[in-house]
Amino acid sequence: MNAFFTPIISILYYALIAYLVVLIIYNLIKTKDWKKEIVYVIILIPFLLRLFMIK
Amino acid sequence: MYTSAAIVLGVMVLFYFIALWIKLSTELAMLVAAVAGAFAGGHFFPARHVAEGAITYLDINLIFFCATLFMNILKESGGVAYAVRSIIKTFHKSRVLLLILLAFLLLIPGALTGAGSVTVLIVGSMVAVVLNYMGVTKIKTAAIIFLIAGLSAAAPPVSLWAMMTAAGVNMPYVGFFWPLLIPCVIGALFTIFYLGWKGTKIDVDKAFEELPVPPEKMNWTRIAIPFLIFFVLMFMGRKWPHDTPVVGMPLMFLFAALASWLLSPKKIDLFKISAATLKQLLPLIGTLTCVGILVQIMTLTGVRGLLAITFITLPAFLVIGSLFFFLPITESVLMYGSAAVFGVPLVLLFNSMGLNPIVALAGMSVIWPLGDALPPTAIIGRLTVDVAGAKDSYGKFLKQCIVPAIVIMILGTLMVIYSKHLGFLTGI
Repeated sequence: MNAFFTPIISILYYALIAYLVVLIIYNLIKTKDWKKEIVYVIILIPFLLRLFMIK
Repeated sequence: MYTSAAIVLGVMVLFYFIALWIKLSTELAMLVAAVAGAFAGGHFFPARHVAEGAITYLDINLIFFCATLFMNILKESGGVAYAVRSIIKTFHKSRVLLLILLAFLLLIPGALTGAGSVTVLIVGSMVAVVLNYMGVTKIKTAAIIFLIAGLSAAAPPVSLWAMMTAAGVNMPYVGFFWPLLIPCVIGALFTIFYLGWKGTKIDVDKAFEELPVPPEKMNWTRIAIPFLIFFVLMFMGRKWPHDTPVVGMPLMFLFAALASWLLSPKKIDLFKISAATLKQLLPLIGTLTCVGILVQIMTLTGVRGLLAITFITLPAFLVIGSLFFFLPITESVLMYGSAAVFGVPLVLLFNSMGLNPIVALAGMSVIWPLGDALPPTAIIGRLTVDVAGAKDSYGKFLKQCIVPAIVIMILGTLMVIYSKHLGFLTGI
């Protein structure tokens, strides 16, 4: 059963990461505060690294 | 070696406080300190280490987001308002039961998400209304919400201080449930009874007038099913670890959030609430990401080793005896970063002394959140005072927190001292 579910769970995690990347970029565009913009860019790094399977 | 690491540490501390002085947020101050430390250590801008550090707490950030999304959907659907109203309706005649249930209501959101601010934002205002109509002053109400929100963040299943420290010493996050739950429940009950016992009989009609009205179709089944999904998934993973696929906590919370969204009697825009959740969590996710970078640079430059060696060579009685003020102070400066920076050497020290690292870490995790009321950050403390609508000075709020905070500190310190005897709580 694990062999069947594991790839599905992995795909779900990548979908979640992709959704979060979209949300971060959406909030980054909407915010007017430069300090928050920097924080959004920083938190985007790990999500992009995972999404593109670099880390 | 020691001198160069000490110089880098000095540069990091200096730049951290300069960043705070020029009004940068805590997370950006940590980033500035990390970059300044790398320069001082002769590494210029180590992009690879910044990226490596940023990804350290990705999984915890995912848990954070999914759990808070679940709580926000529950609040938006009217589930939280329904629960608060039902509790008042059923138990308004018994002050004891009402106080116990309010304490548990405050414990749940933080326990599930690992963030005290989520407790304050999700249930804080509603509990404040109820306590005010029970005759508890606004400043005492703020103190109750803040202290229990802090304990809720330390409570299982998600305790970020314990998770981050455990990750730092390569210790699995297993066996923490009872060592974290017991002191958190004791501390929460003591706080609510000490600060909220004196008052008047609750004015049910006035409280109902001020509380938000849930949609007509809201009921306990709609509230319970998402929680049931979460706990069943968690139970299955623990009971049959070899026969159950590893779902992971982020997906467990996501499934609960989706169930809550599907069962909501009113239509909720999922993208909008997700974006709002991310905005709400930005300081916390930012802090965790920047802490990862800071710790990575500290490791690169030898500062982490310097801190670890300094702690391990200190007399044990001095370390344990100063935990009650040292941990809240580190929390007030580094927030969750305190666990990664100072928690790791402390656990290594306790382990080398023959203490039980799980129980000792649980004891420390109970003390840490108290620092969220202290300057320079004090984000959660000030947020709570605002949510409770208290107009008194911040100093008065801190004064109300003192006695329960001392009890929580004693509880945490005793857990560290007697961790070996309390080892049975871990179930390992």
